[in-house]
Amino acid sequence: MKLRFSSVKQEQQVWAMIFLFAPLLLLGIFVFFPIVFAFVVSFYDWNLLIPDKPFVGLANYSELFKDEVFIISIKNTIIYTIGVVPTQTFAALFLAFIMNQKIKGRTFFRIAFYIPAITSSVVTSIIFVWIYSKPGLLNYLLAGIGIDAQIDWLTNPNTVLPSIMMLNIWTTSGFFMVSFLAGLQSIPQSLYEAAKIDGANSWQQFWNITVPMVRPITFFVMVMSLIGCFQVFDQIFIMSSGGPDNASTTMSFFVYQNSFKYFKFGFGAASAVVLACIIFASTYLQKKYFPSEAY
Amino acid sequence: MRFTSWQSSPTEEKVIRSILKGFDTKHPETPYLYQPIPGNYSEKIQLMLGTGTAPDLFWLKGYTSPSYLSFNVLKELDDYIASDASFDNEDFFPVFRNAFFKDGKCYGIAKDFNVYVLFYNSEMFEEAGLEEPPADWEELYTYSKQLTKDTDGDGKVDQYGLVIEPVHEMLMPFVFQNGGQFHDEAGNLGLTKPAFIEATEFYLKLYKDGVATIPTDVGAGWNGDVMGRQQAAMAISGAWAIPYFKENYPEMKYKVAVLPKGKQAATLAFSTAFVIAKEAPYPDDAWKLLSYMAGKEGMAEWTQSGIALPTRKSVAEENKFYEHPIYGTFMESVEFAHLYQIKFMERWSDEMSATMQAFFYRDAPVKESLQKLEEKISKYKLK
Repeated sequence: MKLRFSSVKQEQQVWAMIFLFAPLLLLGIFVFFPIVFAFVVSFYDWNLLIPDKPFVGLANYSELFKDEVFIISIKNTIIYTIGVVPTQTFAALFLAFIMNQKIKGRTFFRIAFYIPAITSSVVTSIIFVWIYSKPGLLNYLLAGIGIDAQIDWLTNPNTVLPSIMMLNIWTTSGFFMVSFLAGLQSIPQSLYEAAKIDGANSWQQFWNITVPMVRPITFFVMVMSLIGCFQVFDQIFIMSSGGPDNASTTMSFFVYQNSFKYFKFGFGAASAVVLACIIFASTYLQKKYFPSEAY
Repeated sequence: MRFTSWQSSPTEEKVIRSILKGFDTKHPETPYLYQPIPGNYSEKIQLMLGTGTAPDLFWLKGYTSPSYLSFNVLKELDDYIASDASFDNEDFFPVFRNAFFKDGKCYGIAKDFNVYVLFYNSEMFEEAGLEEPPADWEELYTYSKQLTKDTDGDGKVDQYGLVIEPVHEMLMPFVFQNGGQFHDEAGNLGLTKPAFIEATEFYLKLYKDGVATIPTDVGAGWNGDVMGRQQAAMAISGAWAIPYFKENYPEMKYKVAVLPKGKQAATLAFSTAFVIAKEAPYPDDAWKLLSYMAGKEGMAEWTQSGIALPTRKSVAEENKFYEHPIYGTFMESVEFAHLYQIKFMERWSDEMSATMQAFFYRDAPVKESLQKLEEKISKYKLK
């Protein structure tokens, strides 16, 4: 059979649709439909095991904001994000800047920094459980520099969240370093040469050429890491289970607990919708106030 | 017909397969499929029940059973029990025979049990000149104090008298011993009753006075680990510590005793049930398999492995559980064991865990925290 098209444009469109159909179908079933469905479920008292699933309107939402643990989880998630995103972005950029210099063993360092990013988060979490334990590596190193910190980092309500934040910064900085490296390579060498002639030192070159020139990458990295932070789950699940005393309960952990442990899918879905709104709003604000193409 | 369980160790899998083989020879006419779930068991079962793909026969964790019973997703078993002559329901210890009841009807058969007992290091006791394990709270405290010491003289304690865990399961025996309870028959919470508060205070005092430690304080995973490393002379644990000690600390000499009593003797019992899904397509076949596995033959083989203890009196007697130096203590504890089945939505457990953690890690005030907790969980009562 030979297909006939009235114009080249139409032919292209038809073929595009044919090729897009399979991935769209998969995305539709496994991504778009669940998103819409979660939104619907959030208006019901939805217990999987009870056939009767009454419509409750906004009751889940109003209950949510009266829920002490949910409020704590929002607070924890925001602290986590504010702590991780800037640190991580700056660390990634800094690492990329160094890795872009002609230093000895550059490939080795690039690999070393990237390995945490490709290691399963379960593995890195378990390694850090040991590092943070009372007789663990961290306390040992601290004792080496004269600080006798006899604390168990993951069961102390004051240190548990920062400890997990540090782990996340360590694992994802290497990942975003690669994005920045790609950005750095596209900066014309002539800019640096001109700056050198004007007498700029490395630090000035970094701030006045590198940072502004990788701005689109910075935007991408910030958005991705912001979304990642708001959704943090695996590390919490493995390292602290939200404890002690909810000191590390984050929003996605709260969603999981309610949906799969307390049989409250509607309530869980409502909290997931709130989480989605927060992510959407913060990404929007970021785009509005820190546009990616200012230069 | 499909049968599902979790598997927490290779030994467990081997025993299950061997029992199933026994069933095959006896009932070759009943085909079935065994589908174990290796992880996130409760989550998976919940989804399977919700989507109509649940196995016919499966294990149900004792502490989750009140929810499943109240959601009406399990098959009532009374007719099967009555019509199956070989089953002999009266053989079960009463506390386990009546464990999975709702509104006077039976929905689950207790396949085995475990209780908290006191494990103690007999060498450390000898060294301290103690002959008998502590019999009551006072002795528990003084013995713990006596056994807490700095063995290498560096000014830091490296052997504690006792190791406890900051979890509510381990607090509950003390509450029961003190005459308290989590909730009464009608479901009225008892967290703010003096008996509950006193027991909590005593439990915390052991830790706060430095005569007991908790696993994370010495960098261990759990109680058994601490005792195995010789960092504690006594530990509260269930029978799961026995294979653990055998495998990891074979040279350690220990004995077991019933928990020291308070106003009365009490301990906590854990039990897992065999249940049949309400919508099971082959309930009769499922019962056949249940009746074999929870029957005398199946249970004898299952408990022989030392994983857990028999809920049938005849199995315990015939296999000399009462005479056994270690298992005898467990059987003795059945007399005063309380099941820990809280008839509240499971969120109570996490709220209570958070409160326990607040006691241990934040020094939260006992009475106020328990009052706040009772208020919080009262709304999660199951219908």
